[in-house]
Amino acid sequence: MAKAVARVPLKYRLDVAVRALAAVGGAYAVTTLAVTALALTLPGRDVDVVLASTLTGLAVFPLATMWSFAARSALRAWAGLMIAAAVCGGVIALQRALGGAA
Amino acid sequence: MKEGLRLSMAWLHTWSGLLVGWVLFMVFACGTASYYRDEITLWMTPEMHQASLAPVDQDVAATAAQRALEQRGAGGSRWFVTMPTERDPAVRVGWVPKPNKGQGQGQAKAKGRRQFGSAAVDPATGEELGKARETRGGDFFFRLHFDLHYMPVFWGRWIVGVCAMFMLVAILSGIVTHKRIFKDFFTFRPGKGQRSWLDAHNASAVLALPYHLMITYTGLVTLMFMYLPAGLNAVYPEKADAFYADLNGGPARDAKPSGTPVALTPLAPLVAQAREKWNGAPVGRMVISLPGDANAQILMTRQESQGLSSQQPSITFDGVTGRLLSEANKDSGAMQTRGVMYGLHIGRFAGPMLRGLFFLSALAGCAMVATGVLLWAVKERPKHLKARLNSNSGGVGFGLRLVDGLNLGGIAGLMLAMAVFFWANRLVPVGLAGRPELEIQCFFTAWAIAAVAGLAWPVRWMWRVQLVIGGLLFALLPVLNPLTGGAGLATSVAQGKWAIAGFDLVSLAFGAMLLWAAKRLGKVKLAKAPKPQLDKLDKIDEVAA
Amino acid sequence: MTPFLKTMLLIAALASAAGGFTALSLAMSRHWEGVHGRGSAPASRLLPRLRLLGIGGLLLSLCVCLFNWGSAQGWVAWAGVLTAAALGHALTLTYAARAVMRIGYGAAGLTFISLLAAILA
Repeated sequence: MAKAVARVPLKYRLDVAVRALAAVGGAYAVTTLAVTALALTLPGRDVDVVLASTLTGLAVFPLATMWSFAARSALRAWAGLMIAAAVCGGVIALQRALGGAA
Repeated sequence: MKEGLRLSMAWLHTWSGLLVGWVLFMVFACGTASYYRDEITLWMTPEMHQASLAPVDQDVAATAAQRALEQRGAGGSRWFVTMPTERDPAVRVGWVPKPNKGQGQGQAKAKGRRQFGSAAVDPATGEELGKARETRGGDFFFRLHFDLHYMPVFWGRWIVGVCAMFMLVAILSGIVTHKRIFKDFFTFRPGKGQRSWLDAHNASAVLALPYHLMITYTGLVTLMFMYLPAGLNAVYPEKADAFYADLNGGPARDAKPSGTPVALTPLAPLVAQAREKWNGAPVGRMVISLPGDANAQILMTRQESQGLSSQQPSITFDGVTGRLLSEANKDSGAMQTRGVMYGLHIGRFAGPMLRGLFFLSALAGCAMVATGVLLWAVKERPKHLKARLNSNSGGVGFGLRLVDGLNLGGIAGLMLAMAVFFWANRLVPVGLAGRPELEIQCFFTAWAIAAVAGLAWPVRWMWRVQLVIGGLLFALLPVLNPLTGGAGLATSVAQGKWAIAGFDLVSLAFGAMLLWAAKRLGKVKLAKAPKPQLDKLDKIDEVAA
Repeated sequence: MTPFLKTMLLIAALASAAGGFTALSLAMSRHWEGVHGRGSAPASRLLPRLRLLGIGGLLLSLCVCLFNWGSAQGWVAWAGVLTAAALGHALTLTYAARAVMRIGYGAAGLTFISLLAAILA
């Protein structure tokens, strides 16, 4: 980190901003998708499925946030989240299609 | 790669903690107090201090409750009974009153606090306990720690939820970034400035780490469907009510009244029957729907003291014949998990010793948050001193000054305000309209003044002033208590009223601690003139990163 | 369970945890030196024994907690007991380093006495 009271470079500020957006907005989106995917996939009673998926989601969120800052670059942070989102999205689409056909 | 991870997590830990640290301190402080909210409410209603409520058998208590409800809640559509516990020896009854003629169903359903009637009853005699002063009592702190105040509950819960998620991120990133977590387990080196603050932060965090993780995660669980409705919406689209009905079970809700008045069956034998089913475990709560009608039903739930879950088995009886209608006690794994998480956070299951241990860990949590935000300021200061040297400009930067001020008002100011709340409870005249809100306004006014003063003068002497004021106010509560109608220490100890005595003793200890802290601040030598130590400041930069 | 029995078991749980932490901390050079003076070190055979003793103390505490509070609440209680004991021990190491050995033996003795009282009750 640069010395605290020296001028902080714009590139750094941009990096942090992009990661922060990923950590909050991106992570929430991924978590929502993951919870939905789980809810549509998990076996069991409706009540139990909702409980299990939501409980898991609460743990997914902080991990997604930590990923946003642990990734080697801001770009990688977003890329990782988008891959996760795509996977979950795929599962959801699949389940919806199957559910529709049934 | 490991070093990169540690550094990035250190950065994340600092900012996720710092940005919401002051809200979190309040949440933790009020949550800690909430472990004893019934006892706080008792202290804050000195009219009740004389009542000697001997423990009675549950069937006696049930009969007393029934009699009280037949008097006060006659004609009501729903009755509630909370059986005595060791925390609260009175029987609490509540009722939804009969809607007035001309009032539509919708109006009658509007259950504002004024519509709902309640009373505390002596379980032995059935007499309603003397009218105590109107106060929110310990429930104020309980509500404050998740509903906040002066805003709709929805916003308060969202703000606290966001802060709680920041907290969870801070804890997890803190674990990742902490080198030598076991080697430094017992390390505490006082009197060494930044290192001491770091040691204190580490100790309060690591030594109660399971608790901190548990309380933060389970806190989010209590409102998880508000924060993450995705699962609910996916499986129960547009029919959340159906989900909650599945989740909570219970008797047929909103059963229609038949219109035929029939006396309610005596409750006492049903209590005995329920307890036999639960191997002697006591009844916790009863909900009687449509009492006095032919379609009356009685739902009895077991008291929370067994296991961890907040979900307790329940039995439904017919309200006229007393016939057993249904039992609900087989929860699925997922429901049990959620019940345990909810139960762990609420902590109602805990007996006195376990509750004391929870309280201790929660205090460690408060210390963790406070030492965290204070540590940041301590680390930042040398950088600013150095810059001041180089540029000859005066004062510390805006960020540090702001943090200094928020630390002062948020920590010392909050504790001062809590003491003011208790003083207001005894000094605000009884019978005044809007008394509970007035006590609360005193709390927030004191806090606001302390916060503004802290931001205006974020310096050591202001810390001492606020700590001394807070310390004196707390330490003098045991004196204020008997002078304003309560049972003083001599009386409460002699009569074995440990709830009241405990409040006085803890206040005294807490006040003493604040005064001691103020004294210590006076003794610590101010930092020497930075000039000769310039090269040391360079080293601090490297260590701090 | 009478209050007396529960109190004895709580004391036993806390004392055994405190003893366990004492042993574990003494197995660390920093704390051994803090207690016995700079430059001193335990005999090499002592280290694994100290660790074993330490873990044993903590496990004994767990057993007492499970017995006192049941199989569910017992784990929660143990976490709380460990926190209390660890905090107490950390403060002892800082402010009463030379008394640590005596306190350690005292904790062991207290464990024994309180368990005995619990059994006899």
